[in-house]
Amino acid sequence: MSATATLNVPTSCTAKKTLNIPLNRVEGDLEIRIELADGRVVDAWSSGTMYRGIENILVGRGPLDGLVITPRICGICTTAHLTAASKALDAIAGIQPPPDAVRVRNLALTTESLQSDVRQTFLTFAADFANPAYRERPLFEEACRRYTPLKGETAIEVIRQTKRVLEIVAILGGQWPHSSYMVPGGIATVPSLADLLQCRHLLAAYRSWYETRILGCPIERWREVRSQAGLDGWLEESAAHRDSDLGFFIRFAREIGLDHIGRGHGNFLSFGQLDLPPDTQVRGRGGATDYLIPAGFARGSEVSAFDQAKVAEHVAHSWYVDYAGGRHPSAGQTQPYATGAESQKYSWAKAPRYDGLPAETGPLAEMVIARHPLFLDFLAQGPNAFVRQLARLVRPAELMPAMEQWLSEITPDGTFYIPTPAISEGEGIGTTQAARGALGHWVKIADAKIQHYQIITPTAWNGSPRDSDDVRGPWEEALIGTPVADPANPVVLGHVVRSFDPCLVCTVHALHRGRSLARQPL
Amino acid sequence: MKRIICVGNRHSAADAAGPLVYERLARMERPLDIEVIDGALAGLDLLRFVEQTERVVFVDAVRAGGSRGGVVVLTADEAEENAPEIYDHSAGLAYLLRALRRVSEGPLPEIWVVGIEGIPEGETIETAADLCLSIAAEGYQAARQHAAPACGARA
Repeated sequence: MSATATLNVPTSCTAKKTLNIPLNRVEGDLEIRIELADGRVVDAWSSGTMYRGIENILVGRGPLDGLVITPRICGICTTAHLTAASKALDAIAGIQPPPDAVRVRNLALTTESLQSDVRQTFLTFAADFANPAYRERPLFEEACRRYTPLKGETAIEVIRQTKRVLEIVAILGGQWPHSSYMVPGGIATVPSLADLLQCRHLLAAYRSWYETRILGCPIERWREVRSQAGLDGWLEESAAHRDSDLGFFIRFAREIGLDHIGRGHGNFLSFGQLDLPPDTQVRGRGGATDYLIPAGFARGSEVSAFDQAKVAEHVAHSWYVDYAGGRHPSAGQTQPYATGAESQKYSWAKAPRYDGLPAETGPLAEMVIARHPLFLDFLAQGPNAFVRQLARLVRPAELMPAMEQWLSEITPDGTFYIPTPAISEGEGIGTTQAARGALGHWVKIADAKIQHYQIITPTAWNGSPRDSDDVRGPWEEALIGTPVADPANPVVLGHVVRSFDPCLVCTVHALHRGRSLARQPL
Repeated sequence: MKRIICVGNRHSAADAAGPLVYERLARMERPLDIEVIDGALAGLDLLRFVEQTERVVFVDAVRAGGSRGGVVVLTADEAEENAPEIYDHSAGLAYLLRALRRVSEGPLPEIWVVGIEGIPEGETIETAADLCLSIAAEGYQAARQHAAPACGARA
């Protein structure tokens, strides 16, 4: 793999180079521009290159249309968008869905994460372990055997297994793709006993594979790892641990120094995910009583309560009509303005900030805010690409036991829907955690039409451009200081950005026949 | 079972060909053994619809060097020609077809891709929908012999 490189002529004794790097291994188009000096990144700009305007498509439509349109924003996060859209409408209707409906919603959303976490780690992130840049490394041959795209043993197995587990969404949603079964007041499908048994079978099979192939041990053993020393002990405990894909990931990532790159701002955000039904035996992480995955904001390891009123979007460096400072999404606007004449604007992504600060979101943020001891221990040295990806890889171990419990608690003759009157007026917020992090829908209904719809996606947080105070977005900041040994093959930059699991908008998915793409991806 | 799987993004005009053909097919009478699926942006997750199927016809937007509104029929080999090797969130039909051979755990179905150039209009959508049904029912070679030539189609 290589990158297109535009080299600026040095103007001083400190040679500076600028690289423009398209990363089109993401949902949509993303371009990273970096400035190098003395072989390290000294500045970075993240540019989302496609305008979405989904919010504007929704204005004027029926109140329930968000349930159908927003899941189509992205081919990966359909259930997360459906969840956020449903919760916003629940709030407007003033309805609390019945416990079994909450369980079904949780199960579908969690299944999406199970699939995404494993695919992103082994089909996208670890594919770079087979990059020729590492051919002299002792573990390179094994990395190729495991992760070479469409050939590696793990790569093939991941595609097979993640295909099967998604059937849980199809069963619970009554159809797939485009399961629009979540509605204000609950869900529109009622799972039968046979459906639930089938889901249990699918989950058990996935768990067995995840434990055998990915962890190399039972989930219970992995969850005993509570510190870096405990992690080292776990790694040396048995060949099964060392040779598992988790064990290999740890060994290879440390060998190439992923634990020394990708620091970032050190601010973390979670909107909270997976509502706890009042009668469940599942307990929230970190003492949370409302969600399995708690909401919160953290500066380093100092966690404070999440307050959605502190969310604001800036557009000073985004291709939208300017306004001063940041705006809360309930008053947000999405008016494209791309003259090309303003050099300070460089992205179609806005810059969300929490309490005026950039914040990264995703599995590491969830672990920090849940006060997971292993990740708090890591955080003492600051975040990095290794720990960010590790959090993603082991997140399924946090989720599957809760899924099993919820499946055992659902009663097919229970209540899955509370009759909900038609929605004609009101304002509501739907927040959740998608696989990539905090997702929010801010919705206003007036005269039985959508008057306002504002969506902030996880990648808007992680991949944001600079804000009104010229503060870099999370992965722009995380790139600073990264050593780039070979500007013609800057694979290390991919490690940093992909540790956030970038996912911009769905874009044109056209087949290109008989011609190559005009640009080279990283 | 035979399937027609329409892929694309209905919210992006340049990529809406598949969803538009799906809407047309959903309104048409068709044999009971032909299932039509709105595959949208599901990419790799469509694998489960390809397995245990006799014949699959995909519909997608293509850039094959033809004129706007042209309809082309591609083999699976042709359609995966420029597939990315590495999976990402935007891995589409080409990646799916390439992955299929490596991960399929059963016999592969007969696969055809009906591609549409550019932003299609009514006549193109109708042509593509009719072509999909014919190919799904009979296979491409038989469909060529029994049906009128498609708008811009090539073997």
